[in-house]
Amino acid sequence: MVTPVSAHIVKAFSEELEQLSADVSAMGGLAESMVTDALEAASTRDAELAGIVMARDAEVDEYERTIEKKIIRLLALRQPIAQDLRTCIAALKIVNDVERVGDLAKSIARRVPTLIESEPTEFAAAVDGMGRLVQSHLNEVLDAYATGNAEKAIAVWERDDNVDEHYNALFRELVNAMADEKSMIEPGAHLLFIAKNLERIGDHATNIAEVVHYLVTGADIAETRPRGTRPTYQGGE
Amino acid sequence: MDRDRQNQPQGQAAGEPRRRDVVLMALLGIAVLAVLAFSGELSAPAFLAGALALAALGVVYFLIAASGSDPSPMPQIAPVRHEAVPQTSEILVERLPIPVLLIGPGGRIERANPAARAFLGLGAERGLLSTVLRQPRVLEAVSVALRGERGATVEYSTVAPLESHVRAFIEPIRLDVTGPMPFRAMMVLADDTSSKRAERMRADFLANASHELRTPLASLSGFIETLNGPARDDEEARERFLGIMQVQTDRMRRLINDLLSLSRVEMNEHVPPTGDVDLSLLVQEVVESLSPVALRRSIKLSIGQCDTKTVVRGDRDQLFEVVENLLGNAIKYSSDEAEVCVCVYHDRTRDSAEQAHERLTPDSGRLTLTSPVLDADQRYGVVRVRDAGAGIERRFLPRLAERFFRVDGQKSGPRSGTGLGLAIVKHIVNRHRGGFSVESAPGIGTVFSVFFPVSDSGAEANSTVESKVATSTDA
Repeated sequence: MVTPVSAHIVKAFSEELEQLSADVSAMGGLAESMVTDALEAASTRDAELAGIVMARDAEVDEYERTIEKKIIRLLALRQPIAQDLRTCIAALKIVNDVERVGDLAKSIARRVPTLIESEPTEFAAAVDGMGRLVQSHLNEVLDAYATGNAEKAIAVWERDDNVDEHYNALFRELVNAMADEKSMIEPGAHLLFIAKNLERIGDHATNIAEVVHYLVTGADIAETRPRGTRPTYQGGE
Repeated sequence: MDRDRQNQPQGQAAGEPRRRDVVLMALLGIAVLAVLAFSGELSAPAFLAGALALAALGVVYFLIAASGSDPSPMPQIAPVRHEAVPQTSEILVERLPIPVLLIGPGGRIERANPAARAFLGLGAERGLLSTVLRQPRVLEAVSVALRGERGATVEYSTVAPLESHVRAFIEPIRLDVTGPMPFRAMMVLADDTSSKRAERMRADFLANASHELRTPLASLSGFIETLNGPARDDEEARERFLGIMQVQTDRMRRLINDLLSLSRVEMNEHVPPTGDVDLSLLVQEVVESLSPVALRRSIKLSIGQCDTKTVVRGDRDQLFEVVENLLGNAIKYSSDEAEVCVCVYHDRTRDSAEQAHERLTPDSGRLTLTSPVLDADQRYGVVRVRDAGAGIERRFLPRLAERFFRVDGQKSGPRSGTGLGLAIVKHIVNRHRGGFSVESAPGIGTVFSVFFPVSDSGAEANSTVESKVATSTDA
């Protein structure tokens, strides 16, 4: 985080907090690139790339462990309060979500070798489109975290239903296609799982958005912004 | 710039200390080599070679400097350069349109030229690199360079929100500072997006064209065979076949046109447009150009509530294509004597631009097909096209902007499209950093909305003033 860490008497503390946020960002970037590469592997039918993605999950786990250790050390030694405490707690939570994102990317990659055994289907483009949407959410929410921008986080949080809409549509179409044609069952099942994983990555992005909102404002997003209605209209129509 | 000129009179003497420095450095180098040679670290031949090379460097430099002081057109400029070396290189780096960064210990950005700051969206200069550039391989290469080990060239790509392909050159630099960490990492970023895109576009274009043209081509060659053979003397069949062939070739032409247009748009998608377009005027023009088509089926084309003067940043021809595509679709999928309505609004936030306040029906499907990254201060000009056609089922909405996707696979018939129209719209909208969304209720109709960032004429005026100032000081 660049701005919100105001100066502390102990300079090392400020630096540790800043480094912590930077580590979380770097870990987020790693998970992000795993999602990107897993989808790329699925769309270009590249089993080798999928293998690389699977191997990288261990790095994410390693990141999680070291960051958690750092946070525990910070909590024990510095006993942070207010903004600093929120920084630590937020990092702890985000690291958790990011680790899950890494797992989900890995499980997308795991489907690639079997997926490419069957013929390409017309739904690959739809999965790709959904993947792009989820990636943009993940990217924006990590940007929001890095810049401490609660508004951006809220925007992602509110847009999660777009991901759900994509998922539901894809689900119905795939089920129809699988019912119509037997040869669609195998690739269809894999695509369904990939879509499900993407949908869950989207959920984790929303979770991160909630944490970022809490980190910046100290308030719970669900209390300030009830879900369901989208109270964002500013111009009348 | 001004400071350079002030330095000009003293420029003459500037060569002296530089020349001395170089000679001193060469001597120092030889001394170091000698020490190494004596301590046994370096073999005698290597020492001789190194010493000779350094001595030669000193001599060559001296000769060049000496010949430089001859009365030729060069010398008056050359000494100035010597004096201003630190400043000139400073200015060079600052003015370089290529992002250059210097990264210090712990991954802290120590310096970034304006191009880098714009490229990475950097605010505070001394932030940590990993907060602005999360690419794991880049970060790894930087930490290797910070240990002084080796440089690397790393390629990375992002897919969303905008596609980009970047090559990062990372080199360790040893600075003349005391302390445990003398190494810095220099990072130069090169945007490869255009060439990568061009490469892929070509492949895509060929694949799409060959795939989509195969069907009409096959039917054409079938008809030609028939006309050459059994139907050679059949007047009636010939007429009919020629008619069908005409339709097929029209379709092929449309396909090729759309594919070309799509590739063109895709190729430039990462280059933001320049220019201003008045949306209300544009909409009027499109309505006029399409009214003959609408009239043929007695469809009423109406311009609804229009905010006056909605000027957005954009490429006029492309925006025309967007509105034409949407309006053309609305006419195509309306029943005869229906009404198609276009509205223009200005100064909307992203969320209010995306969808109308009132839903078509309480359970209508709404979906954002593409949307810009949130910028709370950005306002958008909106065009909404509403038809009262059959509507689109909710499950098809996410696939609307996919290329060659047609709802219910309507591949032929009088309404046959190429399946590329909305894909083109989406790519144009992306290029303009705008948004594109749809709302549809089966049986009621469909609303397509596109919105583009309003042109900030005030800021533009300022920037032109600035550039004028800059050029006048340069002159």
